[in-house]
Amino acid sequence: MALESPWVQAEMVEAMEFPELSDRHGVSGVPQTTINDGAGHVIGAVPEDHLVEEIRRALKN
Amino acid sequence: MAEKLLNENIVSQIREVFEQLDKPVEVMFFGSMADCEYCDDTLQLAGEVVAISEKLSLKEYDIDADAELARQYNVDKVPGLVIAARDGDQVTDYGVRLAGIPSGHEFSTLIHDLVLVSSRESGLSQETRRFLQDVKQPVLLQVFVTPT
Repeated sequence: MALESPWVQAEMVEAMEFPELSDRHGVSGVPQTTINDGAGHVIGAVPEDHLVEEIRRALKN
Repeated sequence: MAEKLLNENIVSQIREVFEQLDKPVEVMFFGSMADCEYCDDTLQLAGEVVAISEKLSLKEYDIDADAELARQYNVDKVPGLVIAARDGDQVTDYGVRLAGIPSGHEFSTLIHDLVLVSSRESGLSQETRRFLQDVKQPVLLQVFVTPT
C-alpha cells in the first residue's frame, strides 16, 4: 500500500526490540498492524480487503 | 572481517529469488553510536544481502549525525532500514521501512520488500488501488512482528 500511495507509510517493527511501543499498542499476538498510532488495529495476517476496511474505519475517527 | 551471517546455501536461495529483481533499490541503514544492540548485526546482514545483486546498494547513516535525513525518511528507531527505489542518482522513498533486526521470519520480509520495491508495483487489487487513490491524509501502518 505504501508503494501505491504517497500518503501511506509501512513500517515493520520488531516488537521485542521496541517493547515500549509494543506495550503502548497492546501487542500480544503477531503480526499486529497498528494504524496511525492506535486509530485502528488488525491482528493476524488478514486479507487485503479486511485491512482496507480497518484503515477506512480508522480514518473516519 | 566478522564471520558471515548468511551461509552459502541461504545466499544461493536468495540469489534465485533475486532473479526477479527489476529496477535498482537502495537500502538506507540508520544506526546509532549510542546504545543499539542490533545495529552491527543489522548492518552486516544488510551488507551481505545487497552484495548478492548488483541492482542493490547500501548507504549507511547515523540517526543522530544524519538527523535531518532520518526525519525526512521518518526513521525514529535504530536499527532502521529504508527500502527505497533508486533510478540513477535519484532516490525515491516509497515509505517502506523496517525497524529492528530483520532476522528469523522477518528476514523473508526484507527479501520480499526488496523485490517489491524493485518491481515498483504493489500487486494490490483494483479495489484497494481505488481506495488508496482517494486517501489524502497520512496513513502509518506499523506491523509488529517477532523474530520467530
